[in-house]
Order: sequence, then C-alpha cells, then structure tokens
Amino acid sequence: MLSPRQRQDKNVRATDLDALSCRSSANRKGYFNPPDVYIDELIISYNKHLQFCSGYTNLSASRTLRSVFNEQKFPLINRGTYLRTKVLYDLVSSFCKEFAACQIISLGGGSDTKSFQWLENIESVRVIEIDFVESVKIKKLAILNSPKLSKVVGQTSDESVIISSHQSFESLDPEFHADRYHLIGCDLREIKEKSVSDNLYKCIDTSLPTLVLSECVLCYLSPEENKMILNNFSEAFLNKAYLSFLIYEPMSLNDTFGTTMTNNLSNRGLNLYTFDHLPDLTSRYKFMHDECCIPNVKLTDMSTVAGYEGIKEGFKPWIDDADLLRINKLELVDEIEEIKLLFRHYCLCYAELPYGDKHFRSLEAYHWRI
Amino acid sequence: MDADADVPMEDVSDERQLQQSYDDAASHHSYQQSYSLKNKELSKSNINQLDDWIEKLGKCEPLSENEVKTLCDMAIEVLQYEQNVQPVSVPVTICGDVHGQFHDLMELFKIGGPCPDTNYLFMGDYVDRGYYSVETVSYLVCMKVRFPNRITILRGNHESRQITQVYGFYDECLRKYGSATVWKLFTDLFDYFPITALVDNKIFCLHGGLSPMIETIDQVRELNRIQEVPHEGPMCDLLWSDPDDRGGWGISPRGAGFTFGQDISEQFNHTNDLSLIARAHQLAMEGYSWWHQEAVVTIFSAPNYCYRCGNQAAIMEVDEQHARQFLQYDPSVRPGEPTVTRKTPDYFL
Repeated sequence: MLSPRQRQDKNVRATDLDALSCRSSANRKGYFNPPDVYIDELIISYNKHLQFCSGYTNLSASRTLRSVFNEQKFPLINRGTYLRTKVLYDLVSSFCKEFAACQIISLGGGSDTKSFQWLENIESVRVIEIDFVESVKIKKLAILNSPKLSKVVGQTSDESVIISSHQSFESLDPEFHADRYHLIGCDLREIKEKSVSDNLYKCIDTSLPTLVLSECVLCYLSPEENKMILNNFSEAFLNKAYLSFLIYEPMSLNDTFGTTMTNNLSNRGLNLYTFDHLPDLTSRYKFMHDECCIPNVKLTDMSTVAGYEGIKEGFKPWIDDADLLRINKLELVDEIEEIKLLFRHYCLCYAELPYGDKHFRSLEAYHWRI
Repeated sequence: MDADADVPMEDVSDERQLQQSYDDAASHHSYQQSYSLKNKELSKSNINQLDDWIEKLGKCEPLSENEVKTLCDMAIEVLQYEQNVQPVSVPVTICGDVHGQFHDLMELFKIGGPCPDTNYLFMGDYVDRGYYSVETVSYLVCMKVRFPNRITILRGNHESRQITQVYGFYDECLRKYGSATVWKLFTDLFDYFPITALVDNKIFCLHGGLSPMIETIDQVRELNRIQEVPHEGPMCDLLWSDPDDRGGWGISPRGAGFTFGQDISEQFNHTNDLSLIARAHQLAMEGYSWWHQEAVVTIFSAPNYCYRCGNQAAIMEVDEQHARQFLQYDPSVRPGEPTVTRKTPDYFL
C-alpha cells in the first residue's frame, strides 16, 4: 500500500503523462515547427516501463496510458501546450545565446523534450535534469534504448537495456551522465540533506551562468519548500555566477475558475499548495522579491503572452504575427473566452540574481506585466 | 390535411404579411391555430411514444438507434416548415448554450419552469464539450416534436458536421452507440433547424451575431438555410460572430464570422425596428452580459462550462409586457454521477 504522501507523489508524477500526451497531441496536429522528433521516443519508454513504477501494475499502467493518450485533446489544450512550449523554449534559447557558455537546470522535467532540443541546437549549453527517481529512470531508459536520444545527448551505446520486472526497474541506477547532459533522480524536498545536495552539486557547475527552469513543479510544494529550494540554489551560486529562475505555474486568481481548478485537481489527488497562497502576479512578486530575496523579478500571464489580453494596455505578444496566423489555421477554435480564462490562470516568472554586471539583457525585449 | 396552413410558411411575401400583422391579436391567434393543426398530426400513439422517450431521456438514458431514427424523421417534419426567422410570441424564456451538460439542462427547466408550461427559445449549441450531448439533444428534439409551439430550438455553430468531430459529439455517439449512425442522423437533422427567431418583432434571437452581408431581417429570410453551416457568408456569420468593444466590423479570432461594434448593432436594431439582439455563443461568467449599451445581450446557459470554467448560467424571461428578467443558476448537483469517476478536465500540468 502507498502512504498518503507516496500516493500524492505518484499523482504528481502522473502529471508527466498529461504534459507528454498534450505535447504529443499538439505535435500530431502540426503545431510544432519543425515537429518534435523526441516525443515518441519517450512515449515508447512510458509504454514499456510505467508498469514497473510503484503503485502500478501491468493492467493499471496500460489503462492509465490508454486513457491519457487515446483521448483527443481540445484545440485550446493544443494551443496552450504549443504556446507554453514555444515561449519557454525561445526564452531559454535567447538566454543561451546571450550567455554563450551556460547551464540549464530543469526541475521536474520528467517527460519534457525541450532539453534534447537545446542540446541539439545550442552547442555551448549544459543541461541538468532533476526529477523523482522513477521519472528519471523512465527517461534514462528512453535515452539508452533510442538511437535518436542517445545521439543527441552525445552518448551512444550498442546495447539496449531491457527491464522486465519491478525488481530490475527498482535496482536500475537512475543517474545518467554524458558530457553536456546529466540526469539526476532526487526529491527536491530533501535538497538540504547532505547526501542529496552533494550528489546534485557534483553535476552542477556553479561557475557557469545558470537558468533554473521549473514548469508546474513548485506548485505541488508548499511555499516554505519553494523558498527552501530556491534559496538552496541561490546560496550555491552566490558570488560565483549568474543565476536565474524561470517558472511557469498555475495561479488561482481567487476566482471561481481557480476554485473549480482546485476542486477538479484535488479530485485526482493533486494539491496545489502555492495556488491559494500565491494567487496572483502581485503576491508572487512579493514572494520572489521580498521573501526569497531575488532582486530582479519579472512576471506576466500566458493570456498576455499569447496576445489574447493586454494589447490595449500596450503589452506586445511574445509570439509573432506570422506564427499566430499559422497556428490559427491548424484548427477551428471555438473557445476564445475559455482560452483567455484558462491562460490568465498561468503565470510566467523570470527572477534573476545578477552577478557583477551580468544581467539577461534580452529580457527587456519581452513585455512583462510586472 | 393542413397543407394550406403550411403554404404561407414557405412563401416569403405571405410570410412578411404574417409578420406585419403579427401584433394584431386576431392574426396572432390564427397563426397559433395553424400550428396547432400541424400539431394534431401527432397521433395518439406518437404522443405516447414521445412521452415515453421524454421520460426515459429525463433520467439521462439515451434512446436506441432506431428510436433516434424515428425521432429525427418526426423532427424533420416539424422543423422543415419553420422559417429562417422563426416568429415567437411572448411570454418566452430565452436560453443560451447548453453543450451536453444534461443535468444542468434539467436544472434550467426547474429554474425556468417545466415545458410546456413555460415557453422556451434555445439559441443553439446543444452538443459538444459536455458528457451528455446525446441525451441533451435527444431530449430537446423530443420536446420540440411534442410541443412544437412551445419550444423553439435554433441552430448553433456546434450543430454542424465539422465542429462536432472536433469537440466531442461525434466521439460520444461512437462511444454510446458503437457507430456513427446516430451522429449522422442528428447532424442531418441540424440542417433543418431555424437559424434565427424574432420575438414579437422586437427581439432578434440567434446564436452568434450579425453579418456584414445582412442589413435587414428580410435578407435572413431569403437565405437557403437547409445545408451544412458554410465556412463563410451570411449564414456562417449569424452562427459565429461576436459583439466587440471596437466599432465597425473586425476579424474574428475564432477563424469564422466577424466581430461587430456598437455602431453596427445600433444601426441593425434601428433599421429593423428592434429593441434587442439576444444571442449566445460566448461564455459569460455571470450567465449573461450586456453589450453595446444594452443593444445586445449574451445569454449563456451552461454553468461551470466544461466542468472547468466556474461560471454561473442564466436564462432570460420576457413577459407579456416585454419586461425582461434574468434567472441565474449554478451547476446542478449531479445525482448518480459521482464526481470521482468523471474525468478531470484538462489543465496544463
């Protein structure tokens, strides 16, 4: 039997599948240009290995996968998935361009494929992905068994790894290390423990300008845990190198949509701890700036980023007109009000700790609400 | 046989005459009578059958494929004689999108009063998004056939072959019937739904909004509506357009229809001697929202739309004196539908 905490963790890990199925759907509908060639490699690994994760059996894993991947996603989900992926990918890419030799630490990256694209397209970047042990194992197995993924992380091997039981999955070493890419399995809530911290920081180069990316990860932790994790990175880089955080998360806005979201997600065993504590951009600014002591904090919401709102107030969308026109043509969208409503409840935050005169200058090119 | 009663319905000039004399109580009465005659076509056994179906559907149990076939045949018989601009008299309760939220539709009838005691005008979008499109549209069509003078069901942009394949009705039919037959029957029937209604010559009701190609209501009467919703043109616009803060015509972010400003609404109401345009099509957090200094109202009747939006729903009662009242309501508690087994709507996780 799983303890309540284990069950909650299992539910949080299962959100990897949601994110993956959304990206897979958007990819099939032609949103990504060029198409994402890595998504299917991860799906193969989930199909093979989810059954060996704790709390799953062969039957429940295949049921879970079927229900997630067989259902058609609505256009607003495809569109939102594309916008989120595109905006984060572009912002991080422009960070890498500006800082040249740099490092990206992706928290809870699970099924994400952006890391592979950065490795493919940006020569000087180091990528470190940190997630729950089981999520990391599935990704590691995807890499080991896929020539495409092994090639992009720069470590090919002729042997495929076959896992055929809970035991062999359990005993698999979660870590994977290549020249520019590291995969580390740990529970971020335990980041202060010496063994966890030592293991983490032996892969992280604290002399490199670094961006920590967190997409829908910190929202499942308490504000205290959030602060503890952010501070841990801040301290590690203090007086050593430039550090910034790029965070994408839902927020409640204290309205009925937010309340419904809380209820719906708690029905599937997900608690959004920061959701009510940090309900809007202003409270999030205060949290990052005042409580986490990060001097430069920028915030906006996805509806503004995508140009659904804020144009009249002078906020320029982050997606160019030609691309908007292209995605508008992919599917008839009969959900404009819903899109605005849903996107408004997702915030994007860039928070930086400058080092000397190092500061992300291209940041100014993007319009932020705060 | 009441063929003579139906002839004026199809003849534009007679129809206009009928419109003009509509305020006249005597003429109004005769109009109602002609439709009552039509209603008498329903045999006793038809009525019994319809009542059985309504009872069954009222428990959210879908009809069989054969029953749907019979129902759709009966409905075509009624709907084909309705007009592009279907005249409706007061009192009437005007409703917006329902979107397969069957239990909320039952709540609507509780709030607004049961049909046929209350007259209803629904402005489209019965299917897609919610989990009970089949039951919802079957129920409303049954009511239409059973009480043709008491309930008017207009076509929304979701009552179309193309949109239902994206937004759920098609998949739901496959899931519930194992084939696309029922989807085909209903989408074929949708072609016959009237596209607009005119309440006592004063309130113009439709799903979406205005069209740059339509200046007068008579121009709507001239359209050939019995077809799939086209991708563009006046019929498409009527089902897809939205009012906007910006004046004039604008490009719709939906990819079909237009946005129209206050100047357009005022001109249209003036030209056609209307007091109001009532439409649906857009989520309104309070269930309704006024536009263009009360020249246009949006009515939305799906509470907590898509089980995600957290909005209230509303319906608008118009009484004999044309006084309007909005009734708002929240999602129904869904008996027999445990929320835990219901799939969580998608979020970005």
